[in-house]
Amino acid sequence: MRELRIAAVGDVHLDESLRGSYRERLRDIQDRADVLLLAGDLTRHGTLEEAKVVADEFRDLPVPVVAVLGNHDHHSDRPAEIAALLRDAGIQVLHDDATVLDIDGVRLGVVGGKGFGGGYAGKCASDFGEREIKAFIGHTKRIADRWRVALKELQADRRVVLSHYSPVKDTLHGEPLEIYPFLGSYLLAEAADAEGADLIVHGHAHAGTEKGMTPGGIRVRNVALPVLGRAYGVYCL
Amino acid sequence: MEAPQYIAARVQRALAEDDRTTELGIRVDVRGDQLYLRGQVNCAERCRLITEVAREAAPGLVIHNEIDVVDVREPVGEEKL
Repeated sequence: MRELRIAAVGDVHLDESLRGSYRERLRDIQDRADVLLLAGDLTRHGTLEEAKVVADEFRDLPVPVVAVLGNHDHHSDRPAEIAALLRDAGIQVLHDDATVLDIDGVRLGVVGGKGFGGGYAGKCASDFGEREIKAFIGHTKRIADRWRVALKELQADRRVVLSHYSPVKDTLHGEPLEIYPFLGSYLLAEAADAEGADLIVHGHAHAGTEKGMTPGGIRVRNVALPVLGRAYGVYCL
Repeated sequence: MEAPQYIAARVQRALAEDDRTTELGIRVDVRGDQLYLRGQVNCAERCRLITEVAREAAPGLVIHNEIDVVDVREPVGEEKL
């Protein structure tokens, strides 16, 4: 079975001022990759105007594009409309569910969504106390549970988890320790480790590092644009 | 006199919450009357706006903008996993 080349980038934070700049870097992407994954924070303020720029930059590419939204894309409380706008441009948007792409007969399964925070094993928020804390961690728990189900049901030859928030601490190295609970949650990694995946990509941590691994041994790559410093990373599975 | 930690926190919040910037990852340090900004943004205009918002949030301080603008380079190579 042939190798799959997964291109991925997050945190492109596009708006009108950057129109055209990204598109230019996607020339010849089909020579380098089989699919492009967008790991959230595609806009700055989560407005529909910004989402239109994102749609125009990534529409009609010669490879399929799969995206998740990030916290910035939620800022104007219009995530569903942003997702619809991107879908109209032919971009698949995951919201705690899965898609399977057929790439020359190899089935690539992608599971994911925005993810959320809470912190990492032994140093995290718990589902206890005030309703505000329970709501915070409950949001992450529900997301992780949906990813677990989606991975369990996935029929694919290769499996990738696409997230905005980070499932592990490894890729946060360089960020202040104090904000780790707002950068991700171990519950996301636990779900992936329980059901198995070949790769997890995420963004969100601009000051972090590219490479990490879950406790179960799944490779994790932080593809936030400031971390990569290039238009996208390519990972071969 | 206001503690420098509170000034830095106010500027950091302003940079995150002001619609002109919405930058969550900017590090702000205050030493005496000098204010230093560090981090990365995606274009030069955003870098300029960060100075503007910081100046409004901390009037009277000397602003040093040491933020890098990310240069989106061509993709290079690939990693075999």
